[in-house]
Amino acid sequence: MSAGSERPEGAIEAPAAAPAHWAHRHLLDVDALTRPDIELVMRTADEMHDVLERPIPKVPALRGLGVTILFYEASTRTRVSFEVAAKNLSADVVNIAAASSSVSKGESLVDTVRTVEALGADMLVIRHSVSGAPYLAAEIFSGSVLNGGDGWHAHPSQALLDLYTLRSRLPGGLLEGRKVVILGDVLHSRVARSNVWTLTAMGADLWICGPSTLLRGFEAWAARGAAGRRFTVTSDAGAALQDADAVMALRIQKERMASGLLPSLREYAARYGLTNERLRAARPDAIVMHPGPMNEGVEIAADVAAGPRSMVTDQVHNGVAVRMALLYLLAGTRRTEAGA
Amino acid sequence: MSGSGGHDTTIRGWAVDPGTGHEGAAVLEVRDGVLERLVWLSGADAEGLTPGAALILPGLIDLHAHFREPGNEDAETVATGLAAAAHGGFTTVALMPNTTPALDEPSVLGRVLAAAGASGSPVRVLAHGAVTTGRKGETLSAMGELADAGVVGFSDDGAPVRSATVLRNALAYAGALGIPIVDHPEDLSLTEGAEASEGYVATVLGLKGWPAAGEAGSVARSLAVLADVVRDVPGARLHLTHVSTASSLEHVRAAKAAGLPVTCDITPHHLALADEWIAGARRWAWEALDGDGRARDPWADGALVARPYDTSLRVNPPLRSAQDAAACRAALRDGTADAIATDHAPHTEVDKHVEFGWAANGISGIETALSVVLAAVAAGELPLATAVALLTTGPARVLGARGGTAPGLRAGEPADLVVVDASGAWTPSAASLVSKGKNTPLLGRVLPGVVRLVLAGGRLAYAGD
Repeated sequence: MSAGSERPEGAIEAPAAAPAHWAHRHLLDVDALTRPDIELVMRTADEMHDVLERPIPKVPALRGLGVTILFYEASTRTRVSFEVAAKNLSADVVNIAAASSSVSKGESLVDTVRTVEALGADMLVIRHSVSGAPYLAAEIFSGSVLNGGDGWHAHPSQALLDLYTLRSRLPGGLLEGRKVVILGDVLHSRVARSNVWTLTAMGADLWICGPSTLLRGFEAWAARGAAGRRFTVTSDAGAALQDADAVMALRIQKERMASGLLPSLREYAARYGLTNERLRAARPDAIVMHPGPMNEGVEIAADVAAGPRSMVTDQVHNGVAVRMALLYLLAGTRRTEAGA
Repeated sequence: MSGSGGHDTTIRGWAVDPGTGHEGAAVLEVRDGVLERLVWLSGADAEGLTPGAALILPGLIDLHAHFREPGNEDAETVATGLAAAAHGGFTTVALMPNTTPALDEPSVLGRVLAAAGASGSPVRVLAHGAVTTGRKGETLSAMGELADAGVVGFSDDGAPVRSATVLRNALAYAGALGIPIVDHPEDLSLTEGAEASEGYVATVLGLKGWPAAGEAGSVARSLAVLADVVRDVPGARLHLTHVSTASSLEHVRAAKAAGLPVTCDITPHHLALADEWIAGARRWAWEALDGDGRARDPWADGALVARPYDTSLRVNPPLRSAQDAAACRAALRDGTADAIATDHAPHTEVDKHVEFGWAANGISGIETALSVVLAAVAAGELPLATAVALLTTGPARVLGARGGTAPGLRAGEPADLVVVDASGAWTPSAASLVSKGKNTPLLGRVLPGVVRLVLAGGRLAYAGD
């Protein structure tokens, strides 16, 4: 990382030695991102990280562009993170917190997206409880759509900030052969699904672990691999954590007990909770991550969450840089298309 | 056309008559709607008349269609549905009773038949009555009155008959009337909220899985109940509709071998499309298998070409894996499955142009069914004669005597036939589809087989270019 203070205020250089031109108008999933694409996001995020170190962390890269943040699901950190990221790039930000409701109860997504566009949005960040909803938005919206999390499907910016955080702690930023464990409610997790793509793309030795009821379907995926890139699925937490370089715990929601997927939170915590004792099997320098919000004492012990291995605060901080990078890159394709 | 409305024409082509098992070059003369002469040709007379040119088939029969009237005429009416059926080569359609109100007593049937009469279409309309009042799964519908009014089956399609006791009573009561129960096999306790077939594709797309056990378990239960009922009511009959999984078909195969009175149908989309279409693949299901008969991985082999989560692919039961589709074709070849039925399910844009998980279930399929089946024939997946039987004599056997005259190309009877240009191709589009339902994943895809002429009961139902 270079020191941002050496650069004139407001300037963003093209990322040095960019391995690829950013060719994606939207960011709806990470399944189609190539390794050069991901490297480009990481390098751009480095630049943005430098911006964040400045006394006034603001650049005019998106001045005059309207960014609308349309969230159909409750969220604090992702929504605020996108808002801060867009504002740091001098975009005009509009926030819409739409109640998560069925189609019958209100305006359809199609109509809402048309309205948002008519009100001047150039970029749309959307979160939705239904998998695939951002694709529908992208079909209608003439600007760029950034998926802020859809159903169980994808959370691209989270996976990329997770990757950014991992790289910042691994020698040389290299994941090749590093054992990364995703632990918890994988079935319902868009974070897990997106991380499968990005972590395997970067060569990590990915392990997916949780109670078998919460791994449903992942054995079938692991048998294929992510575009052929292998990963491991197990319900054995001990095997998963053995010699791990990084562990990412996922939130366990209380609803999972009501639907019969788990006997109790107590039993989950006892068998899969990320405790210091369990972490002894991991490498001594292993790091711990969590996409938040955390249930301390359930999927992660309070002393682990607050302990020296925890990267939770770094993840939040890096999230702003990565989201700035994504908005910047998507705006770039917009400029390219307009100029062409 | 003569003054009585009967059609006059002479047709030369490759005739396939599953009624007699005859197949070959032929010339058919239709006078005043009656098939006066059918002459099988050979030698020089037969030149150019091949299965790849003009096909002459008995009029097709669809066991399973939704025409939405009464109650949802924005999606389809009896008149538009019949026009679509004719465009698809169908001269007989059996309509499902999930209208609003449900077809659970004769007056609703009266409305449907009146609409059919008013449409002027010569396509014959048959109807399934509901198994239970309001399709609620609680009390039996007016089965006897519906039987007197002419229904050909009883079905709570769209919903399974949840209670095994109700199913048992329905099989017994309808069996005494000589009418099959047409069951939609689904164990709702396994499928609540499901969006796609459980497995690899659904997992990657984050869609809630509809497990194969949700169908196979229901099939097994229904067969067990049937086995009990037939001991007391020998006329009891079970027809399983839109069967979609290998495991369900294994149950049916075993039940048939054991002599149980069970039949089943498979839709064109379950035999020809696979769940990978939801991810954006657009190859036929038989192209999605590797050398070992396993489903290929569309993420690994570059097969993802379309936008994912296209709601025209949301259907119940969901599109299955390519292996399941292969099992469906195997069942159609070996007689485990008795018919191909469209499950034509038209929907409005309002109900489909929404988030995938909130979109209405169903594919508008009555106009593309024959083309999809011909694509399977062209790929060597189904013999032509088998495919034609599965769309004509197969469904007729399921309907039994209530289905009316058996399909066939018989001289001296009103012409009921379809002429298809097998060498031609067409592209379904919002404009080219006659149905109000434009909800098909085949929009924009070039399909083989163009319907040129349809005669239903001696009258012109459709004439193409």
